[in-house]
Amino acid sequence: MATTRTEPQAAPPAPPRAAQERTWLWVTLMLVAVALFARFGHPMQIAWLRNLLIIFGSLLIEAMPFVALGAVVSATIEVFVPASSFARMAALPRALQIPAAALAGMAFPVCECGSVPVGRRLARKGLSPAAAVTFMLAAPIVNPVVIASTFVAYRGRDSQWLMVGGRFVLGMIVAMCVGWVIGARAPGELLRGATVTDEADDHDEPRGRRFIAHLSGDLVFMARFLIVGGLVAATIQTFVPASVANRLAALPVLSILAMMALAFFLSLCSESDAFVAASFTAFGPSAQLAFLVFGPMLDLKLGALYVGTFSKGFFRTVLIVVTAVTLVACLWMQVIWG
Amino acid sequence: MSAVTAEATTFRWSPMRVATGLVLLGWAVMFTTLWLTGRTYLYLSSRTAWLVPMGAAIMSVAAIGRLWTARTANDEPLEPRAAWALGVIALPVVLVLALPPSALGAFSAGKRSTFTGSAIGATARDVTGPLDFVDIGAAQSFPDAMQQLEARAGQPITLEGFVTTDASAPPDEILLTRYIVTCCVADATVAQVRIVGLPPGNYPSDEWLQITGAVYPVGREVLVAANTVQQIPVPSQPYLTP
Repeated sequence: MATTRTEPQAAPPAPPRAAQERTWLWVTLMLVAVALFARFGHPMQIAWLRNLLIIFGSLLIEAMPFVALGAVVSATIEVFVPASSFARMAALPRALQIPAAALAGMAFPVCECGSVPVGRRLARKGLSPAAAVTFMLAAPIVNPVVIASTFVAYRGRDSQWLMVGGRFVLGMIVAMCVGWVIGARAPGELLRGATVTDEADDHDEPRGRRFIAHLSGDLVFMARFLIVGGLVAATIQTFVPASVANRLAALPVLSILAMMALAFFLSLCSESDAFVAASFTAFGPSAQLAFLVFGPMLDLKLGALYVGTFSKGFFRTVLIVVTAVTLVACLWMQVIWG
Repeated sequence: MSAVTAEATTFRWSPMRVATGLVLLGWAVMFTTLWLTGRTYLYLSSRTAWLVPMGAAIMSVAAIGRLWTARTANDEPLEPRAAWALGVIALPVVLVLALPPSALGAFSAGKRSTFTGSAIGATARDVTGPLDFVDIGAAQSFPDAMQQLEARAGQPITLEGFVTTDASAPPDEILLTRYIVTCCVADATVAQVRIVGLPPGNYPSDEWLQITGAVYPVGREVLVAANTVQQIPVPSQPYLTP
């Protein structure tokens, strides 16, 4: 596949055609075997398997349309927006670019799965990596749909405005901190080398063909990471009770760390996580806020997407910066608001 | 597949593009099937159901476009790694289409956090309407909502939910459960109410029941004293939206 190609000089000799056809056959056989088991093996009568399969299916059925929407936006940017406009933005001072990118997230009402393909595209297209990453991390938290859902989830509670406002402000701050740490890295350092679709980059092709090439390329590229992340998240949701975190609820620092860990493993969509956060009544508002800020920036399915999309150090950078800044900010909140 | 010659260059079907197109087509078919059969509601809440037709539309465009442009002058073999990746992407499609339709069951009820009512009784909910799981969830979590429910003690209530067995409960008691889903099943929280005074019988886990009775707030819990119990099929929308 085009997306997995390495540099021409490093390219291994193509496997013989017979081997290719054999793989194709094995893949088909695997799918048929899965279909037969699903249909006639009564998997839904095994309680844990039924729950795992439904949660896995539902994570993907919700996330894939968002990824698809992100891929449409990403392909549109690639094909219809001239690179020169991004080059102009990239020439601005970084102190201006990063806050502007975080604010621009407000205009992009999708959850985190949709914002990864767009962030990746912006970095490839010539926007500075710092700004692209800031946008990618801020958009799923500061957009109006997510603000509204947080508002509804906390309706009638004393902490309502603290949650809505805190999530917005802290989301902006954390996204900008990651952008600032990413700093002056070149786009080549940010993105994983083997993500270039050479077919799609042939600018002699008509726009429609290039659009389709980018759209299908992005979908196929993102889907496999989403599927792996979704499967792990569904397994954890099936076997680990959410109440494991409850015994840490009363402990000052650990309660915040526990909620961040929970957000990571549950892998919820940023448009619905406020309802789940609100259900952890044993935890104080600052720990709930940590859940709401951390989850949309880093969780299992995003982790898989980041590892596939960005260079090796990126996941580590996001993990360290997001954890540290969220923890410190929420601790201060705990001190001030209890 | 046959090679087609055009003027100077030879255009061939690219195995890579054909396979990609077919996998995307699979996703389009899956979304369309969910949409047309109403099985969307086994996976998503009524609030996010619009994602399914949108997914169907974008996947269809991508799939048809990919197959339409699948002939190329370059040699694009389907390498083994790419073939396996496409197989993984097709896996959820095969599962969702082949599995018999079913909803999240009693197994998860003990592992999920309890629904606390996004709309907290007193301030946000119309408490003059018919009572349901959402009111009871709010009452069991917040003193204000409980006070409000106390004013309506003894009023009739009709609930539909599935049985979760409680080993320590007497034979005329069950927990009736319903999941509250905001976006997708992964965010499901549990709304549960204890039903008392049931006619003696066997109430297995995961069986769906319609219960009419009277609601009684007792301490921090809400009880429903059953008048009638009827076995029902799984509703077309098995999850509630807060």
